[in-house]
Amino acid sequence: MNAFAAITAVLSVGMITYASRAGLIVFLADRPLPLNITRALRYVGPAVLSALTVNLVAGGQGIDGVEFVEVAAIVVAIVVAAVARNLIGALVAGMATLWLLLWLL
Amino acid sequence: MPDADRFRDEPVGAAITRAALRAAIPLLIPAIPFGLVLGVAITDSAMPAAVAWSTNLVVFAGAAQLATVSLAATATWLTLVATAAVINLRHVMYSAALSPRFNDQPRWFRWVGPFFLIDQLFALTSVRTEMPGPEWRRFYLSAGIFYFVSWTTVVTVGLVVGSSIPTEWRLDVAPAIMFAGLVVLGLTNRPGIVAAVVGATVCLLALDVPNNGGILVGAVSGVIAGYLADVAETRRAEQRTPESSSG
Repeated sequence: MNAFAAITAVLSVGMITYASRAGLIVFLADRPLPLNITRALRYVGPAVLSALTVNLVAGGQGIDGVEFVEVAAIVVAIVVAAVARNLIGALVAGMATLWLLLWLL
Repeated sequence: MPDADRFRDEPVGAAITRAALRAAIPLLIPAIPFGLVLGVAITDSAMPAAVAWSTNLVVFAGAAQLATVSLAATATWLTLVATAAVINLRHVMYSAALSPRFNDQPRWFRWVGPFFLIDQLFALTSVRTEMPGPEWRRFYLSAGIFYFVSWTTVVTVGLVVGSSIPTEWRLDVAPAIMFAGLVVLGLTNRPGIVAAVVGATVCLLALDVPNNGGILVGAVSGVIAGYLADVAETRRAEQRTPESSSG
């Protein structure tokens, strides 16, 4: 990605981020969102972040980009996050699993 | 106002700033590894490092930054922006929830304030409903600027450290692990789990959609599934209530 494309992408992402934070405050003050929209918005986080995880593991190479060690590291991280409710613990456990497997295999 | 006595000996403004920082620091700690991972991802990014680093100043939203920086190698402009837009949808919720607090604020603050609206700031300021307008503004800006400065610092440290770590350490996997952990910590109910599982599965099936379009297909399917599961669960709960009250 060249510098111009990168700058354009960063500025666009910046504008869209600001718009999502400021839109209702600056332009639509006092008009509450419909209940159905709020209800659906609640599930944006889990849906997009899990899709993003899968996409990053594939790394743009389709199903061939999925490595066993990566999947194992992520599974361990998910278990630790679920049990310990701790992001740092999940990251450490996931990376430790990755390093252990890379060393063993 | 029990706080008024405590603040009597010093200017009220300074006391509010101190209270804001005291409240803000604990919430910064869990964000530190995230910032370090982002710093490392910047050194790995297909973007020039300076441009990727500038997301701290221009975007200031960890998940959207990490997605932008780590997808740059494989995604087009449209996918990057669309993915960031979807990730940022939760900010619309924050903005909706806080907008009543901004109604009586000066115009400059209505424009400047939202820039700082990260998850932590929302968590701190949305609960302080009893605070009068000017004090709330001071509290909001103190904590917001604190997060802005410390986030940029942490990411920069990650960038400096990350560029000296050999690639065999496979720190490129860290963003995916980070996102997986964030998913799990964000799950508070069953429809949330449905949304996450459907989002991941559909994205996996849609990996061959060009330009990383699988993220959006997966995300939209996940949101719809989560919403439907929520509606179904609510309906079930409503059916149960009359029975239990009669019995």
